[in-house]
Amino acid sequence: MNMSVNNGVAVDVRNLVKFFGSFKALDGLSFQVKEGEVFGLIGPNGAGKTTALRILATLLLPTEGSVKVFGYDVISQAADVRRIMSYLAEDAGAYRNLSGLEYLSIMARIYFHSRDEASEAVDRAVDISGLGGKIHDKIKTYSKGMKRRLQIARVFMLKPKLAILDEPTAGLDVVHASYIRKLIKDYANKYSVTVIMSSHNMLEVEYVCDRIALINKGRIVAEGTPDQLKTFWNASNLEEVFIKVVDIGQLPPSG
Amino acid sequence: MGSFLPLVEKEIKDLLRDPRIYIGLLAPILIMPIIGLAISAAMQSSIETISREGVKVAVIDLDETSISHEFIGFMHGLGLNVSESPSLEVEDAIEELKGSDTRILIVVPNGFESNVTSFRRAQVNVFFIVKSMGLSSVGIFSVIESVLNAYSRALVESFISSKSPEVNPEDVLNPLTTVSYTVVKDKILKVSPGVLFNQFFMGSGIMVPIVLMLVSMTVAQIAATATAVENEEKTLEILLTLPISRYRILMGKLIGSAVVAMLGTVLFIVGLTVYFQSIFSLPVMTGEGLTVSLELPTASLESYVMLFVSLLIAIFFATSLGVIIGALSSDVRISGSLVGFVQIPIMIPMFMVIYGDVGSLPLALRLFIYALPPSYPMLIAQSMFFSELPFEALLGIPCSAAFTVFLVYLTSKLLVPEKLLSIQYKLLMRRMKGRAIP
Repeated sequence: MNMSVNNGVAVDVRNLVKFFGSFKALDGLSFQVKEGEVFGLIGPNGAGKTTALRILATLLLPTEGSVKVFGYDVISQAADVRRIMSYLAEDAGAYRNLSGLEYLSIMARIYFHSRDEASEAVDRAVDISGLGGKIHDKIKTYSKGMKRRLQIARVFMLKPKLAILDEPTAGLDVVHASYIRKLIKDYANKYSVTVIMSSHNMLEVEYVCDRIALINKGRIVAEGTPDQLKTFWNASNLEEVFIKVVDIGQLPPSG
Repeated sequence: MGSFLPLVEKEIKDLLRDPRIYIGLLAPILIMPIIGLAISAAMQSSIETISREGVKVAVIDLDETSISHEFIGFMHGLGLNVSESPSLEVEDAIEELKGSDTRILIVVPNGFESNVTSFRRAQVNVFFIVKSMGLSSVGIFSVIESVLNAYSRALVESFISSKSPEVNPEDVLNPLTTVSYTVVKDKILKVSPGVLFNQFFMGSGIMVPIVLMLVSMTVAQIAATATAVENEEKTLEILLTLPISRYRILMGKLIGSAVVAMLGTVLFIVGLTVYFQSIFSLPVMTGEGLTVSLELPTASLESYVMLFVSLLIAIFFATSLGVIIGALSSDVRISGSLVGFVQIPIMIPMFMVIYGDVGSLPLALRLFIYALPPSYPMLIAQSMFFSELPFEALLGIPCSAAFTVFLVYLTSKLLVPEKLLSIQYKLLMRRMKGRAIP
């Protein structure tokens, strides 16, 4: 399999099932993400968002089903997936005793074998993070918002084909959350990065995402663009959509 | 290898900038010379005190004869500071002495002179009042015993001279002359092995294992904490999604830790050398209050190299254990409670080396000790000044290195997030169940 046969599909998830012992975290999850799209997986805590993203990021193995990233299978071609993907874990920190610049430089040098490429990536990241002179400070002196900006910069400096962002604004204040959302939107567009992100903040994904899937108890319960979903469910925002979908338990419209 | 070096750099920088690591790194270079100098200073001061003031002895002379006076004069002559006890009752005299700095009471009973002059066995009662188990007490007691032996010898010589004036008493007393030497590798020292053993026991037998344990445990704890922090901060999760193999990620971590460990090892050996030098520059007390210097036995370059290699393997081993524990811990608190397990393979050889002779243990236990990499630096330190390196060490170091490599391999197999997250999840569930039970 190679990238030429993905037919514009960046992520193809089919009938994904994941068990942790006897606990079924994912129950037949299926969705597709198109190239260049910003796709949101939204749902409450424990819905299975992080598990799905960890499988996409080659961290976990599915119990059943298949997942392809730009045509690469996440199990048999995990190394290829890792070359084109960049992942941000929920609440991810960084090495406390390194400076922000050192951290970015180390990450860039792991990806890029050419010194020039790595150096350009670091310059991009410094620009994306907007940390200014603070980039030379130790990470242990950073606030949560600054750490998240550093991580977003780390993800986009690589210009990956796919960025996987797990709850990128969780725990941030309004100002930082808004800043991060803008970064995601701007740089996904600027570098043509396909983004798949999770959130339980419905309003956030409405602003950032081109298309979303509502997930509950390990299954997709609704999928479409924010406008499609609001119109279909006759709701003023996605939060209302979600409550209606979960309460009624109806099948989702196809996006 | 291009993408591997940044991981090593990350590890070294992150570890060396953690202030806690300096406790482990600097402990040997500070503690060992301080202890060595403290022991040296304490012994020096004891010897100087004894030489300056003389050993204080109180005497109850119940015989009050010319021979008993001669005996007291003999003690004076050999440098003892003899005074008459104010009380003639032994119990009262001891009570009085407890409050003074005199630690010896000699009682010359009635009939002393008549026994001596009629060549019957005479008796003196010596009471040693122990106020501490310090080195100075040991010195004082050995001085008294030597003086009494000298007097006894003088009596024998006088007896022999009176009976057979043509015979040299020395020849009768010592028909066989024994001179004790202690052979330490290629050096022959004119001292008894007991003296040497006493001084070395503190060093090789106790100090080296304890300080090595401190270094190993600190490094293991730091590796465990650093890895657990990676879990907690999700940096390990991010590392595992990078286009680099899990084996290289682990090797980056271990090599980074090993570089730091090597620094610790160098500091350890410097500390050890300073310690032994301060111990061997000590004068040794002899019976007559005089002092002689002990020649310094040296260890060969090869034994230092072997010590260095075995230390490195031991520390690498401890670091691998630390990484395993840290990787299995979803946060620093869990790692803190699990890291105690690392102590087991480090403390067992330590106690075996301190309290026993490994060679005389049952085979199964001996094999267990020889399988553990931390055993070797302790065994080498124990023998490096006295003999050739033990055969077990030469054979065991490659085996323990192989064991360590196997442990690293196992760790790399564990560093698969599927396994790691499943084990962490199970540990978490177990903890939560444990909490749920009232």
